[in-house]
Amino acid sequence: MAGHESHPTAPPKPRATPEEMRERKRLSRQRVSDDSEFITVSMGPQHPSTHGVYQAVVDLDGEIVVNTRPSIGNLHRGVEKLAEVKSYHRFLPLTDRLDYISSFAMNHAYAEAVEKLMDIEVPRRARYIRTIGDELCRLSNHLLWLGVHVMDFGAQTFFLICFRDREYVLDLWEMLCGARLTHSYARIGGVAADLPDGWVEKCRAAMEFMPRRLAEYQRLVEKNRIFLKRTQGIGIFTQEDCVAWRVTGPSLRATGMERDLRKTEPYAAYDEVDFDVAVEYDADVYSRYLVRMKEMYESCKIILQCLDQLPEGDYINQDAASQTFPRKKRVMRDSAAMVQDFMQTFRGPKVPKGEVYKAIEVPKGEMGVYIVSDGTSIPQRLHLVTPTFYHCQATPALFEGEMISDVVGIFGSVDIVLGDSDR
Amino acid sequence: MGLKDILKSSTFYEILQGMSVTGSYFVGEKVTVEYPKEQIPPFERFRGVQCLISDPETGELNCDACHICATICPSNCIFIESSEGPDGTKQLDSFVIDLTRCIFCGFCEEACPRAAIAMTSAFEFCTYNKNDLILTKDWLVENQKNLHKELRKR
Repeated sequence: MAGHESHPTAPPKPRATPEEMRERKRLSRQRVSDDSEFITVSMGPQHPSTHGVYQAVVDLDGEIVVNTRPSIGNLHRGVEKLAEVKSYHRFLPLTDRLDYISSFAMNHAYAEAVEKLMDIEVPRRARYIRTIGDELCRLSNHLLWLGVHVMDFGAQTFFLICFRDREYVLDLWEMLCGARLTHSYARIGGVAADLPDGWVEKCRAAMEFMPRRLAEYQRLVEKNRIFLKRTQGIGIFTQEDCVAWRVTGPSLRATGMERDLRKTEPYAAYDEVDFDVAVEYDADVYSRYLVRMKEMYESCKIILQCLDQLPEGDYINQDAASQTFPRKKRVMRDSAAMVQDFMQTFRGPKVPKGEVYKAIEVPKGEMGVYIVSDGTSIPQRLHLVTPTFYHCQATPALFEGEMISDVVGIFGSVDIVLGDSDR
Repeated sequence: MGLKDILKSSTFYEILQGMSVTGSYFVGEKVTVEYPKEQIPPFERFRGVQCLISDPETGELNCDACHICATICPSNCIFIESSEGPDGTKQLDSFVIDLTRCIFCGFCEEACPRAAIAMTSAFEFCTYNKNDLILTKDWLVENQKNLHKELRKR
């Protein structure tokens, strides 16, 4: 747990010390009186501001939220159960449908876990491509979040501006893997295809252009009195609360904790690029906004570095013939590769017995995949530890003592996608 | 509260700033297109509705009915029936793709060792009748016209 002194870009004096923050949270909770009658209001599951099919039944004392009963599961599809009847290869497209805003990050988390279980190496070029993909996901996810979050506070045009720039990222995705939303781009042992011709130049142009657009957003939002008044000091969620409720990602970093799996447990090519962990110290809605804004700048920086250092080589591991698919070109020409293709399809990959847990930093927080393998090509049990589930379970503590009009903004600020929570 | 702040709060500075951005886009270049009249062509790797590839000269299908696409399909949406042909080889009788189940992951194209099935650029297939989404062999062969890429590239 690092203090704010250790961070090189730490501001000289945060707006509030952790003690002050706790005191403020305590005072806001004290506003709740015990003897009055409560009004119960049901928000959702069809409410547009709940960002999905999430229902919150809130008890109100006047305008102050006393108690929240969250209800999730409206989008339940039984993904974990489906994993138990599909081979490791066939389950991969279903991970897209967890957090459909940043689907490649979900593919990546799953592929990393399976690779750890099978103990196979990913070629260096594939690791770089995965890093670029993760950061593109982070950009598109945060751009969508920013547009929706500011729209929660009443700005309609800003949403469209964010979507216009998100389009550049989605175009890159369509060119790279053929889909704009459900990418299915990662494969066990690498990625599905190499970078197409002209992609690197296009990506570099977009990443050099994006920081200018981000600066324009900051000019619009950070000086806006309405936005500042509605975000600063609202929805405080202290470091202890975050740890107790397992709230991760930007919401945790907004409390001053420098926990980012990209730095602490590097995967893909994150140990070979230079970037800062975005940290803020006020733990309010505005801090979470600032953390995500900084992360977007860092993402552009990481992608540009990866494009510069992009190594040559295979995009998928070709040595582990009993675990990975061969390259398509080889299947057409080489009979051994064709046999490998058929074996992988009909019999599935060769997997050792064992249990494995691997977590990576997806845009919304920490995404972990836990696999229990009994030695067959189908997982015996696969558990997905998704960030949104924990963000949803923290909502009662998050809303307590806040005004009902702020609930929508606070809920948006922790960044949720219900497909991620309900699985 | 300095003079600057008083001026800012009395002139609704933020609204003026926001409106100036809106105004600049009002005269600037448009980023949207009017969809049905004007279309943005999909990229080469775009994953639209599948097609079955046939030889341009003989008209025979590349498909050998090996069932690899039906097996790899994560949503089990491909149904293949085959029988023994007159010369003793495997013959494809019916090839059905259930688009109501298809998730457009492109695994069928990727697994196929003969380049017999491919994803096309066709994405406009809305229909009022759900039965139209059960694609037969003839429909899939016909859909070759939407094929927008050179096969066997990656």
